[in-house]
Amino acid sequence: MRIILTKFLFLIILLENNFAQTSIEEVYSLANKLFENKNYFDAITEYKRVNYFDTKKEYSFDTNYKIGLCYKYGGFYENSIQYFYDALKYSKNFDNTFEIKTQIIRVNILRKTIDRAFQLCNELEKDVLFQSKTDEINYWKGWCYIFNDDWNNAELTFAKTYLGKDIYLLAKKVNKEKLSVTFAKVISYILPGSGQIYAGKYISGLLSLAWNLVAGYFTINSFLEQRAFDGIIVGELVWLRFYKGNVENSENFTIDKNLSITNNAMKFLQEEYRGLKP
Amino acid sequence: MLKNKLFIICFFVALNLLAQVNNDIYSLENRVNFANHLYKETDYLRAIDEYKIILQNVENDTIRFRFANSFLKLNRFDEASENFKTLFFTSLSNEAKLFYFKSNFLKNDFKLFRKLVENKVYLPEKFYNEVNKLNSISYFLDNEILPQQGILLNPFEDSLQTKLYLFYQLKKNPPSKNPIQAAIFSSLIPGAGKIYTGELSDGIISFIATTVSLYLSINNFQNNHQFRGWVFAGISSLFYAGNIYGSYISAKKFNDESKNKVQNEIESFFKQRNYFLPQIEF
Repeated sequence: MRIILTKFLFLIILLENNFAQTSIEEVYSLANKLFENKNYFDAITEYKRVNYFDTKKEYSFDTNYKIGLCYKYGGFYENSIQYFYDALKYSKNFDNTFEIKTQIIRVNILRKTIDRAFQLCNELEKDVLFQSKTDEINYWKGWCYIFNDDWNNAELTFAKTYLGKDIYLLAKKVNKEKLSVTFAKVISYILPGSGQIYAGKYISGLLSLAWNLVAGYFTINSFLEQRAFDGIIVGELVWLRFYKGNVENSENFTIDKNLSITNNAMKFLQEEYRGLKP
Repeated sequence: MLKNKLFIICFFVALNLLAQVNNDIYSLENRVNFANHLYKETDYLRAIDEYKIILQNVENDTIRFRFANSFLKLNRFDEASENFKTLFFTSLSNEAKLFYFKSNFLKNDFKLFRKLVENKVYLPEKFYNEVNKLNSISYFLDNEILPQQGILLNPFEDSLQTKLYLFYQLKKNPPSKNPIQAAIFSSLIPGAGKIYTGELSDGIISFIATTVSLYLSINNFQNNHQFRGWVFAGISSLFYAGNIYGSYISAKKFNDESKNKVQNEIESFFKQRNYFLPQIEF
């Protein structure tokens, strides 16, 4: 009988092992593996599973935070922010709270709701709890200015933080290279074509100057020869058109040039910049 | 004594095993709960994955319905209708048939949808009128010739008849302007065609441009400025011909815009009311 009992117990132990259960820890570790392998869709499923079965809410901060990150990496910014706010409810300490809040700012930068990102930065700045985090706050504020195409303020803000020396130098370079649209327009009013030359479009600028000189000559000549009607028609239909076109071109070329400068800077930030990005 | 011991051991082991099965996050029961949670959270894409695994192990009408409905919510109409079809001979037959028609209706292939309704094979007894309503709405939403007013409006309640009658009239005869008429108006008085199509400022500008250039042409000819006379005559002719063509196009544009406006109004009316379909959830 004892032999039977021993065999029976052995069988039970075997059965127990075969009836392997999957615990929350295991699912959580699986989710982390999926996350590390950048399989964000499945990672979200598993994190959500952990969230659902974790009745004690032990994993809630981590799972919501990771779901937020997965959605962020997948470009689902609305969902991402929703889960970051959920994670905030289970924040365990001061650093957790700050990390989540900066993540929300970063997602706002990415989805280009810059006003909201500024608002959140200012809230963090005013919060006495985060007084020691001024450098980080200024760093993300600088990024807000970049996405707002305000490189001047970006440069000034990055200058206040030790975190973004490279990005500060980049902002400074962009600021130096960018052209003034108003200046281009003003010099075009004074000397047609000069605004286009200022924007680097030399041939266009010289052609514009030539057209304006010719049209201006015919207009003035008509008036001098007392052919007022011809003068008005040529002036109105030809000269004014060239003159106006010259100012508009100066403005457009300068804007295009600035766009090309900022696009190159953004490309550098996207592909080569090694610091923290939104 | 030993037998008693054996029984007690067996009892606790069985209890333990049962508890383990319940604790297993990937157990069927837990999967169902989790899938339903995802479904309620409107994360249909993940709910589909979970339901798929569940349905590989067990067939359940409610789960199949939710599975199919998840496809419908994601606008994957073919997969939705295929899955609703599998429920035709179950306790959810009527609901599944209604949702089968809904899936086919939302595909926007209204010809095919009407063929399905005409065949009458899958019509749900309980929701016969709802499918008829969808059938009528399908005529409002596509560009086929409208059937008789009575046939189209009968499935709807009395309170909706006035509104639907208005839509019927608008759909049949949307506000329009005759392009030929607009062109003729502009050929008689430059700009008149544009004013006829509702473009007042364009009409006035066309009138001024044509008449001023015509006046300049005549004036130059009278003063023996032949070259300038011809230049302005050319400009005047261009304005005149352009204005006639512009009026014709303007009338066509008016007709297109008016048709689109009517269509958008009708579409949003039905969409806001969920195409008069009942809310069914399991």
